[in-house]
Amino acid sequence: MSAADVSAGSTRRPFTGRRVRFGDLALQLLAGAAALGATVLVGLIVWKLIDGSRLSLSKYGLGFVTRVAWNPVIGHELYGAGSFIFGTVITSFFALLLATPLAMGVALFLTELAPRVLRAPVTALVETLAAVPSVLIGLWGILVLGPQLRTHVEPWLHSTLGFIPLFGPPSAAGASIFTAIIVLSIMILPIVSSISRELFLGVPAELKEGALALGTTRWEMVRGVVFPYARGGVAAALILGLGRAMGEAIAVTQVIGGGVFIHWSLFGGGDTLGSKIAASYQGASTNLQASSLIYLGLILLVLSLVANIVAQWIVRKVARKHGVTRGGHA
Amino acid sequence: MPKLGTSIRITSAVAAAALLAVVVAGAANARTARHATTISGAGSTFVAPLVAQWVAGVGSAYGIELQYSAVGSGAGVTAITSRTVDFGASDAPLTPDQFTACNGCEQIPWVLGGTAIMYNLPGVKNLLHMDGPTLAKIFMGQITKWDDPAIAALNKGVSLPDTAITIAHRSDNSGTTYNLTDYLSSVSPAWSSQLGRGVAVNWPVGVGGKGSSGVAGVVSSTPGAIGYADVAYSLANHLKYFSIKNRSGKFTTPGARGILSAATSDQKPAADNSLSIVNPPKKYANAYPIATFSYAIVPLQSSKASDLKHFLFWAVTKGQTGPYTAKLRFVPLPKSVLVVAEKAIAKIHS
Amino acid sequence: MEGLAWLAAAIAIAILGIVVWSVARKGWSELNLDLLTKSPIPFSLTNAPQGLANAFAGTLVIVGLATAMALPVGILVAVYLNEFAPPSIRTGVGLVLDVLAGVPAIVVGIFVFVLLVTGSGQSGIKGAFALAILMLPFVARTTIEVLALVPNALREASLGLGIPQWRTTLSIVLPRAIGGILTGTVLAVARVAGETAPLLFTSSLVGTQTSWNPTHALQTIPVAIFELSESPDPKDHARAWAAGFVLLIFILFASLTARWLATRNARKIAGR
Repeated sequence: MSAADVSAGSTRRPFTGRRVRFGDLALQLLAGAAALGATVLVGLIVWKLIDGSRLSLSKYGLGFVTRVAWNPVIGHELYGAGSFIFGTVITSFFALLLATPLAMGVALFLTELAPRVLRAPVTALVETLAAVPSVLIGLWGILVLGPQLRTHVEPWLHSTLGFIPLFGPPSAAGASIFTAIIVLSIMILPIVSSISRELFLGVPAELKEGALALGTTRWEMVRGVVFPYARGGVAAALILGLGRAMGEAIAVTQVIGGGVFIHWSLFGGGDTLGSKIAASYQGASTNLQASSLIYLGLILLVLSLVANIVAQWIVRKVARKHGVTRGGHA
Repeated sequence: MPKLGTSIRITSAVAAAALLAVVVAGAANARTARHATTISGAGSTFVAPLVAQWVAGVGSAYGIELQYSAVGSGAGVTAITSRTVDFGASDAPLTPDQFTACNGCEQIPWVLGGTAIMYNLPGVKNLLHMDGPTLAKIFMGQITKWDDPAIAALNKGVSLPDTAITIAHRSDNSGTTYNLTDYLSSVSPAWSSQLGRGVAVNWPVGVGGKGSSGVAGVVSSTPGAIGYADVAYSLANHLKYFSIKNRSGKFTTPGARGILSAATSDQKPAADNSLSIVNPPKKYANAYPIATFSYAIVPLQSSKASDLKHFLFWAVTKGQTGPYTAKLRFVPLPKSVLVVAEKAIAKIHS
Repeated sequence: MEGLAWLAAAIAIAILGIVVWSVARKGWSELNLDLLTKSPIPFSLTNAPQGLANAFAGTLVIVGLATAMALPVGILVAVYLNEFAPPSIRTGVGLVLDVLAGVPAIVVGIFVFVLLVTGSGQSGIKGAFALAILMLPFVARTTIEVLALVPNALREASLGLGIPQWRTTLSIVLPRAIGGILTGTVLAVARVAGETAPLLFTSSLVGTQTSWNPTHALQTIPVAIFELSESPDPKDHARAWAAGFVLLIFILFASLTARWLATRNARKIAGR
């Protein structure tokens, strides 16, 4: 007899002890094969990337990760991921830095601050932006944002804040790390704000009302109740946004300008792991170059997985702390 | 609200169906791939403008549907090596390793053209002069402003602004890059030792563009930019290009005369059918120093051998004539090279 | 302090508005029927009308194939996790799905490239496979959630009547969940319709003629936009905007449909 629990999300059990019919076994095997296939797929992805980068892995080992070089000239070939890891870290970090306050602002706006009539259109706006494909944002970046940054923003930043090495001479072509940062922050803004909005909505109403009843202002309530409650979830959202920014290749390669440099100025060109791979998609000229590109992909996969796993871990920790199952509201 | 729900449901279903119908009908209405023989190729963006003009001609001559993806010489070699396409196109001759990997391929010189060094300098009407050593310094990032004394010395009487120079180079593996770096290596020992020649090099400065179009795009939209591509791209985008000082001291442009004169400097293809005509010796007084042959990379054994041979033969004869080449500043193959090409084409078998 | 939040919100909303507005405006103004009915003519020296017919056809074929690949596998995975798997396997495979969802699209592209394309060439099917990998976690996850919402009492009643579990699952549980499954599928389609990176490696060496044959590489809208975006020709940019606009409208339409399906479904499950 099966267990007589009736709550949603209850345990299903495979057959034990019951007379097994062929159809049941067939479905279980088929479905199990699908699940196994999904698991194997993940392992296959990791293995194939390692396999594809074997030549570069054996030649350079872990030194590849720190070397700043990408010389494809036959006879002088030397490859390294250092410049691209730097590019990935810089662009993702600054994009997150830029997007976080804006996303928090939007999320608060939609949950606490805005008059009800504004909430639906603004939510629609955020979701519309989330739906815009990255190649289209990249197109916008090349044709609209880049020229604007080049002619107005960068020269202004350079003339006022030029003493900070970050703001060197403006880029001439509008394609720079700075443009990539802006594009990335626009891309992760919807994700971070949507998740934050859900989190803020999930703060138990009695906590909020309790604080207000004690005489706090609305802002004090937000600061004292909403933020601390949602803190863990927001951290996870930020890390998810970071992971998304690191993995974005198309829009970045369209606006970043390219180059194997490590320099301070944001207005220079560069490449990230993703953008370098996307720029070279059409074929490497030697096997070593091809396997080095796949090595870059392997590094990117590892970074994304780490970000993903950290985010998941935070989410589970927070869910345990708040004693709610996923998707439940108190 | 069941009534509203039903009408919404019906409306969206109708709208979706209508959208789908429009897209399918529209796409199907376009020139659909017939089941004529398709010859597909991929590679050099350098020759892409000319190959694009050939499509109609080859189609009407032999009923062959020609498909060409301008993905860059490096990618073209990769594509033909894995037999993803029927022929590849590369401006850089294959290395011995690439020949081995391609497993039974030959290269056939089939196009002759010149790489223009194009620039965008608003306010300066004259066509500017340039020479090899200065160009090398510019691409190495040692000369950064247009009013640098080295540039001014070549252009006496022209008032040059102090605009910063932005270099536009190829971000993908490019035979045009090979051509340029081949030239720069021969005029600048510093370039030769630090950067060398290749389909891609470790560019010390500059913005990357994908394909010749990408480079032209960067130059077009960036005041003060200098880039390089087949001369057809500068013409198409109304970009000026330098006249370059050749070894005899004359400033020449990538036009028919300059390119043809350069071609006469190497009339004997090597065993692998490659030719090198950059920076020709002094006696070729009118030569443009950054000219190059481009090659079709074909497998010696192909299931589409007869159509491939028809196409290639047409390309090196009819495809070289005025109506196709003149406007794009490609130059018909010299007779000695044509003979070699035809012999190579004849070797293809099924 | 509250003022800062207002400011941040205002800036963010302004930026979002600017992006969406300029994409919409540019795309709408360049839209014409030629886009759908004419093939591209690269390096055209005349002003003959051209369009992106091959890209529209290719996108339909490839996204359709990807859905056909991902949907059954996703449903089966969800069925296994929800109906058969012991809790440990359920957490394990659930983790696998989350990991899969976090793999960047470009890494999936390289993976399929190394797995299928090297040595044998590109094709629409391989591109569809890459997109299917991206769709799988979405479809599986939404199906799991919606299967879990089907009340256990339903299953118990069915089993109690003597109906075998496989028939219970297929004829009773799944049909109840069909709304949610559809929602998940439509969302997954909306997501991959705009993906460029995986297709760059698997279906980018294409011709200009419209082809519906997935054994060859087919042009797709995102890849076409990507290539046109780097061109210096303003006419190419116009086509890119127009194609992007159509793509965006399609994705928005799909997302709205999914949301409407979800609300309708939630109402149905709640019994209203």
